[in-house]
Order: sequence, then C-alpha cells, then structure tokens
Amino acid sequence: MLLEVKDIDSGYGFLQVLWKVSLQVDEGEYVCLIGPNGAGKSTTLKTIIGLLAPIQGEIFFKGKPIGRLSADTICQLGISYISEETNLFTAMTVRENLTMGAFTVRDKTKRKENLDFVFELFPRLRERHNQLAGTMSGGERKMLAIGRGMMSAPTLLLVDEPSLGLAPQVTADVFRALDALRNRGMTLLLVEQNVTKTLKVTDRGYILEKGKIVLADRSQSLSQNEHVRKVFLGI
Amino acid sequence: MIDARPERSILNHFADGARSAAGITILATAALLVAATIDKGPYIIVNTIVTGGMWALMSMGLALVFGVMNIPHFAVGEFFMTGGLLAFFAVTPFNDFLSRHPQPFVSAISPLIAIFAAALGGYLLGVLSEYIIFRPLRKRSREQWVMNTFLLTLGISVFMINGHQLVFGTEFKGIVNYWNYPSLSIFGVYISFDRVFVFTFAVIVMAALGVFMKFARMGQAIRAVSQDETGALMVGIRLNKIHALTMGLSCGLGALAGACLLFMFPSYPTVGIGPLYNAWFVVIVVGLGNVAGTVVGGFIVALFQILTTVYIGEGYGFVVPSILIIIILIFKPSGIFGSPVRGVLDR
Repeated sequence: MLLEVKDIDSGYGFLQVLWKVSLQVDEGEYVCLIGPNGAGKSTTLKTIIGLLAPIQGEIFFKGKPIGRLSADTICQLGISYISEETNLFTAMTVRENLTMGAFTVRDKTKRKENLDFVFELFPRLRERHNQLAGTMSGGERKMLAIGRGMMSAPTLLLVDEPSLGLAPQVTADVFRALDALRNRGMTLLLVEQNVTKTLKVTDRGYILEKGKIVLADRSQSLSQNEHVRKVFLGI
Repeated sequence: MIDARPERSILNHFADGARSAAGITILATAALLVAATIDKGPYIIVNTIVTGGMWALMSMGLALVFGVMNIPHFAVGEFFMTGGLLAFFAVTPFNDFLSRHPQPFVSAISPLIAIFAAALGGYLLGVLSEYIIFRPLRKRSREQWVMNTFLLTLGISVFMINGHQLVFGTEFKGIVNYWNYPSLSIFGVYISFDRVFVFTFAVIVMAALGVFMKFARMGQAIRAVSQDETGALMVGIRLNKIHALTMGLSCGLGALAGACLLFMFPSYPTVGIGPLYNAWFVVIVVGLGNVAGTVVGGFIVALFQILTTVYIGEGYGFVVPSILIIIILIFKPSGIFGSPVRGVLDR
C-alpha cells in the first residue's frame, strides 16, 4: 500500500470538515475521490499533503507516518500536489516554474531528464518556455501546474479538480495527459466534479459526502450504483 | 500558435514607455537633473548618484522583506546605524596600526574588510531577529500580521537606538574618509575616491543581487515565495529558511549602506532615521514590494532631497519628498511602476 489515510478528522481552525475519513491507494492505481461541492474533497488532499494538519487520525506513505509533517517535507518524500487554483509563480517564466518544481532534486542530470519528460508530455510548454506563467490561458496553466508537479519525479500525484473552469476541449486534453502519466506507471489520486468522465478513466473511487466516505468501490461498479446514478449522474 | 500581435518597433515601445507613469516620472526627473546641473554645477549629479545608489540598496532590502514576508520593516534605519558602527570599530584599529606602520596594501583593503564585516554583521543580526522575534509570532498567529510586525519592527528600532546610546554613548563615531587617495577628476569635477567607490560598489552589489535573484537556486526560491507561498511549500521550499535568508539580506543591505556612507553619516543612535525615511520614500514611489524599481527610485528620491537642500534649505530636506509621497499616495498609490496595492483613484 502506497498511501493509507486512517480515520482522519481535519478542518480549518474550529471548523471541522472531515470526519473519520479513510482511504487507500496502491502503487500504480488511478483512484478518484468524488463528491458534491463542499464535501471536503480538497480538504482531504490538503491534509494528505500537509497544508492542513489532521485533528485526529494518521496518514501513512510507504508505511511511514506523515500526518504531522509539513508540506515541504512531504513533497520531498515523493508526493506532488496539483492544487485547484494551480498556485503557479505567475511572474516567473514557464521554464522557471518548472525549475522550481524540481527544487528538491539536487542532481542536475536528473533535473534535465525530468524537464525533458515534462516537455515531451506537454509540447505546448516547450513552445512557451519563456512566457510568464501569469499570461497563459487556463488550460495551459493547468498543464504547467501538472508539469511542475511532475518535475520532482514523484511516486504519487494528487490532482485537485483539473477540469475546473476549463472548456470541454481543454478538459479532454488534461485528462489525456493524466492518462499518459498513468500509462507510465504513475500513481494518481484524482479529485473531480466531472463524475461521468472520472469514473470512466479511473480504477477505483471513493464517494465523499458531508465530510464522510459513504461509498468505496471499483469505478465501474460505482457508475452502476443506484445512489451514485441518482445523486451525481442525474439518472 | 500564431502570435496575433503586429510587429512593433522599438520606437513604439519607447513612446509607450514614455507615456506611462514611470516614464513620465523618469523623464521629468532627468530633465530636472539636467536643469539643476546647468544652474548649479555638476556636483548635484555627483551627490545624487552617490547617495541614490545607497538609498536604492536599502530600499531593495525593504522591498524584499515586504514582498516575501509581508513585513513593513521600520528598523532598517537602525541596521544602517549598526552597519556604520561595525565598520567604524572594524576600521579604527586598522587606521591606528597603519598610522604607526604605513603599508599601502593594507590601507587599500582594510576599508573593504570593514565594510564586508559590517554587512555580514547586519546579515547575522537580521537572521537573529527573524529567529527570535518574527518566527515565534508567525507560529502564534498570522492575524493582523502587517500591523503586528510593523509594531514589532518599531520596537526593534527603539531597542537598537537606546541600546546604542547605552553602550556606545551619543557621540559621533565617524571617519573623514576610508581612502586617503587624491580626488578623481571626472568631467572637470573633483570627486573624492570614497564617493566614486561607494557608487561603483552600489552598482556591483545591485547587479550581484539581480543575478542572484534571477539565476541562483535560493534567489529563485525567494521570488517563488513572494509570488505564491502555498505554491512554494508545494514544491518543497522550506519557508523558514527563505524567511531567514530574506530578513538577513534585507538587514545586511541596510548595514552595508551604513558602512559605505560612514564618511557622510557618522554613526550615532538616531542616525538611521533619515536613511529609513529615504528608503521608505523610495519604496512608496516605486510601489510596495517592487524590488527592481527601487534602483530607479533611489536616484529619484536622492535627487529631490538634494535639490530641496540646495534650493530651499537644509531644514526642508524631508519636507519636499514628503509632499511628493503624499501626492503619489493620493493619485497613484500603487507607485509609479505599479504593484498589487491599489488605491481609490486607481481603477
């Protein structure tokens, strides 16, 4: 088991959002976490990556507890987080953003390899390597954010709502990129609102409602599930 | 993808630049400088350049801490004072020794050693202040952060002023000049070697800082933190390390300016207040948190101050720049180069 989240309670200050959330991700899996707005999906990812400290419970990565570590340490252990709002360095160029993504990689040749890999994955970024991140379109920013996350060659990629605010065509591009990563053996934990599409591409899924996991199953079974069909697919 | 914008000539860019707030201010300042030089002679240019470079260095430090850590640093003037003090105590033993055993090589490099020692001392004091003052506060609460840190830096300032007075007394601790070399003649004006050195040194330090921020791993990390703190955490940058480095750099630059200008500003408890105001004038003129803009801003503020002193009188040295600041804050609160801070008329 690569990632194990065990009974975590988490939230912002006095506002508790998550109640005993547990989930697991195995090596090479493509897992999704879906749920309505405000269910606590982003909070779950932020707690895993260490931007929020869990009130209770523990998180294990490769068997080691990481629940009390800070985000920069967790990043060095091999988890990358692509946030909803991308958190790019807007006044830096595309190339500088990618270089910062490899901040924890000390080996120069390794950095170069990662950069080539990202440029191969997103040729658009290579074309625009000298452009400021803040002047790029929404889709390009998402790609840059994913590329920056890939620069540290992580073992686990947490992706928060990659389709948020994107045109359907661009969303398809982003999903294609995630598929490509998955085919290269990357482990992914995806948070999405686009339930139909997400359940089609992922292996397993968790349904989060009001801060609690209400369902966990293979994605295919989830898309047949009565509750899911009623709440998310509107059938 | 095809770039839809039509080709633009350099002239077009220049015309656009000249029409912007920054362009107007720079052109107006340059015109003023030329007019004053024709009227009163070239020493106005010399003084503007010598002090402007140092104000630019100090305000670079201010802009850095504000941009990266959101701290309005009001104790930078006291680091200026400390820098002067450290340089004074470092250079005096050398001078005593040299008056007994003249050695041209030692007398050439001893001021450099003193200045570097002062800058290093300022850096270490800055790091120390981050560790014992700002970090505990950051851990406790980030509410009202700007106001709290503003009050804290004022406290540091009062503490350092009185500490200086308590330990070293109120008398002036200064030197006549660092180097006893004959004045250099530039365009028929005699300028002391110290002044030439101070300007050259300021340019070198600014360029080095620019290269550091653009290309060095840590410099890039500093910029990353100032642009997106969460993003910086996500890529594995240790914020604590960057905060300490930034505070150290900022205080080190203040101390460096104080050490370089020791022959103009002897160190005494409240010597830092004037330079502090100047550095803040610069930061407000160019826009809070704008590091590159301070290079130009330093010279603009220095020129205004010198012109005021020459034409209106010594006592008005701070009045005219203050009026300038008030006008800028009313009409262009984001500064002439613009910064994310927006004002009422800035829609």
